[in-house]
Amino acid sequence: MSLLEFRNLTYSYNSRQKKPSLDNVSIKVEEGRRTAIIGANGAGKSTTFYSFNGIFKPNAGEVLYRDRPLVYTKEALRELRNDICVVVQNPDEQIFSSTVESDVAFGPMNMDLPREEVDRRITNSLEMVGMSEYRMRPSTQLSYGQRKRVSLAGALAVRPKVLILDEPTAGLDPQMSREVMELVDELCCSGTTVIISTHDVDLIYSWAEDIIVLNHGDLIYSGEPEGFFSDAAKTASAGVARPHTFSVNSYVSKIRGKEEAPYPRTSSQFVAKMAPEGTVGGKIRLIPVQDKAEAVQTSGHVGVYGYAAKKALKEADISADYLFDALEMCMQDAVKGLDSVLYCDATMYDMAKERIEALAKFGVKAEVVQ
Amino acid sequence: MVNWSPLGKLILVIAILIVNITVDSLLVTFVTLGIGLALMAYSTNFKIPFLIFLAILEAFVILIFGAGVISVNGTDSTQVIWDTDFLWMHFHMTVESFNKAWLILFRGTAGIAVMLAFATSTPIPHMSLAMKQVHMPPELIEIVVLIYRYAFLLLERMEAMWNAASSRMGFNGARTYINTVAAIAIGIFIQSTNLSDKSQIALDCRNYRGYFPVFSEPAKMSIKWVVVIVALAVGVYYFGRYTEGWIDMAHILLGV
Amino acid sequence: MTEQSLLETRNIVYYYEGNKSPSLNDVSLVIKKGVKTAILGGNGAGKSTLFYHLNGVVKPASGVVLYRETPLSYKKKAKRELCSHVAVVLQNPDDQIFGQTVKDDAEYGPKNLGLPPEEVKERAKRALEQVGLWEKRDQVPLQLSYGQRKRLSLAGAIAMKPDVLIMDEPTAGLDPQMALELMELAEQLHHNGMDIVMSTHDVDLAYMWADEIHVLRKSEKIYSGPQEGFYADRDLSYSAGLLAPAMFQINTTLAAMRGESPAPYPRTEPQLVAKMAPGSKRGKMEVIVSKGDFDQSYIDSLSAEGKIVGIYGTETRKYISANNLMVDFFFGGIESCLSQLLNGKDTVVVCDPDCVEIVEGKIKDMSAFGEPIDYTVTDS
Repeated sequence: MSLLEFRNLTYSYNSRQKKPSLDNVSIKVEEGRRTAIIGANGAGKSTTFYSFNGIFKPNAGEVLYRDRPLVYTKEALRELRNDICVVVQNPDEQIFSSTVESDVAFGPMNMDLPREEVDRRITNSLEMVGMSEYRMRPSTQLSYGQRKRVSLAGALAVRPKVLILDEPTAGLDPQMSREVMELVDELCCSGTTVIISTHDVDLIYSWAEDIIVLNHGDLIYSGEPEGFFSDAAKTASAGVARPHTFSVNSYVSKIRGKEEAPYPRTSSQFVAKMAPEGTVGGKIRLIPVQDKAEAVQTSGHVGVYGYAAKKALKEADISADYLFDALEMCMQDAVKGLDSVLYCDATMYDMAKERIEALAKFGVKAEVVQ
Repeated sequence: MVNWSPLGKLILVIAILIVNITVDSLLVTFVTLGIGLALMAYSTNFKIPFLIFLAILEAFVILIFGAGVISVNGTDSTQVIWDTDFLWMHFHMTVESFNKAWLILFRGTAGIAVMLAFATSTPIPHMSLAMKQVHMPPELIEIVVLIYRYAFLLLERMEAMWNAASSRMGFNGARTYINTVAAIAIGIFIQSTNLSDKSQIALDCRNYRGYFPVFSEPAKMSIKWVVVIVALAVGVYYFGRYTEGWIDMAHILLGV
Repeated sequence: MTEQSLLETRNIVYYYEGNKSPSLNDVSLVIKKGVKTAILGGNGAGKSTLFYHLNGVVKPASGVVLYRETPLSYKKKAKRELCSHVAVVLQNPDDQIFGQTVKDDAEYGPKNLGLPPEEVKERAKRALEQVGLWEKRDQVPLQLSYGQRKRLSLAGAIAMKPDVLIMDEPTAGLDPQMALELMELAEQLHHNGMDIVMSTHDVDLAYMWADEIHVLRKSEKIYSGPQEGFYADRDLSYSAGLLAPAMFQINTTLAAMRGESPAPYPRTEPQLVAKMAPGSKRGKMEVIVSKGDFDQSYIDSLSAEGKIVGIYGTETRKYISANNLMVDFFFGGIESCLSQLLNGKDTVVVCDPDCVEIVEGKIKDMSAFGEPIDYTVTDS
């Protein structure tokens, strides 16, 4: 069902603007679909978020949440913002309290939850972002990456149905970026609809199911990524570059006289497609983890995916080779014909299995074993 | 000391300050100053931050001027120590005004030391809770909390700007120095206004209701506190009345 | 021939105010003349502290910093000298704007150097033209967009006419088009003698651009040298919080599967395409040196011949957008044209006069991955 929708929405910050920040835009975000919003700076991305959560009221058109138009009363907006959380790019703009704990508590306490529940949520959110040891740290003593994680934890503690992230990986080193995306996957598997806006096209291409492209307030495209990136002129005029895997696949397929489809979106899918004929894929032993993990014998690499799995492995003192982007790394091993073991959160098991089995359509079959 | 009830601490501080003002004993001011410094030492593990020490020193220096003005504006009938005219000003220092000046100097310093002791030993959320409990206006409390938070951020930005200016020879000569400092001040101001705009939006996104709820409740003010405060206030008051005039600065320093 | 050491640190140690553990611990590295250098890893504070050691703004607790093989003297006059040779551009443009108008800000550095007024104006003009902000010279910086402010902070550094330009996360927060345009400018500057040192988290960007990397982990330097040597050691890159660039991963994986050596290592898209599809029928490349004297009909005539048109260089780009001309590739011109060429299309790259060597260099780099590419260089 359409979770969030704009119908002919137009919005301007002030009347002196030459062109509205959003000009007659109609888009739909489906529940549970991983959606990305892309566009050059000034295209209207932040206006979009703030229209979703009612901060900006449209000059024309309407915003619908769960098929009902937004009501702009104080009460209704409060409820809306418990359902829809926006995390902006700069953590300093949204961390207000002096300690990590009190800042993460801010959201739940504004919901008038009982103290034990707030405490539970703080513990849980900090665990999810890997900041449990920093609970009592003053916010001024945190590095940029840590502050970004705290601001994310603050939103998670509210347990929103929709999480909107503006440049969640900007300024983070590659490993921390992957950790954030892993967390996002976790949230998607648990039923949260996540909307991400970013300039990192490669990230979007490997993650998003739907993309929304804006340019100077106009909607340029909405739908599956390939539909947009296949049009090189459209991509260029929106100030967006094409993802590497898409671009290289396109050129190489044309040269070899092969079909561009299926379109590989990640490195492992790309390598699978380009692999020599008759490559035999390796096996991935996928182990779902609830709270405890047991060591297994293996000659291949061991990966861990998901915060619960990481916690369990740490407690059981099992070491892993792949701590970041483990699913992708195990799939790359599989494409190379190597076996590997992947511990993942129980909630993410189905998603991981689906992705591994999807390699088959790119030419290399990777088997999932228990 | 961080774990002591902030409300208790606040009322203790207020009580001591009031007693300080109501008695005219220099000894009481020394005692108060001592209490303030001791509390600060205790709460910071005997490592009083240099910045705090500077703050007290700065207050002392400013108070010297204030006290100086008071000392040369005697209107009573005690012995005149110094009477002269300078430009358009008339200086008239008496024993009374001289002693009063010293009293005020030390009162002020003691008061600031005690207040700083409170401030340095109380985390901002607790301080804001205590202020709320004594019914200070919520807007004022909000401003205090936010100023504290953003002061750090802006100081960070200022340091970054300072280094960037250094790299472009911004401190090369007096005139350049002044221009650069002005430019930095403007830059920080602009950044702070931008930050405040964006933070306002973020506060709305997080359902801000006008106050910052405190999660980890500090210790409540128990009856022990009331007893201690009353006992201390009464004790210091009577000690003060008893020791009024014991230290006659005019006599000690000037032999009058 | 070994390159001359431009900037060097030897065992420097630095403690940030009041901290017990150093933010730079025994860091030794050499930045060589003419070598495009990238600094990876570490958190923001460590890297910017390192940069401020390189231009003398910060003095290490122990260890030596050398410029052109001479240790830095931290005396006032020497520091002033050095700042005019080594410029640092931070990540946050708002921390580096000191003028009330765009022009004022660009003039800030040269004015502080004590240069005569005509020279100050000239340098500011040139710098603003290079970053494409001359038309906005009377605007208040507050009114510029983020990308424009980033370019303004770059102009401020360029106006100092440094030998070395150190940039901290130059493409952070920029959309892809602006990021590519900025990288193009960096290449042009480097080629014209202003050595560029860049720090970034974007391993893919660094892989495409840098000749040599230095990697920081926490407060120590753990690697100096060519990129492949670093990424080949997975444990090492993992420990620094880095992951191998996608292109490196893809290349090494495919090579392993084919039982081949991963060298030569493709670093850009066309190189990867060439390696993966050797022996394809290639088109021809024409490099046209722009003199700012052509119009849309000229471009249309090229398109009519089935040629794909891309551009490279700040002057050309300014000319094209000022005259509202349409080309196939407004940014990322060379790479896209090379890829199209591998697909059998004839391509044209219109570039600035001082960019011809850069374009030729990129074309010649392709020969490692297959047949050398046929190209001509003509004037417009």
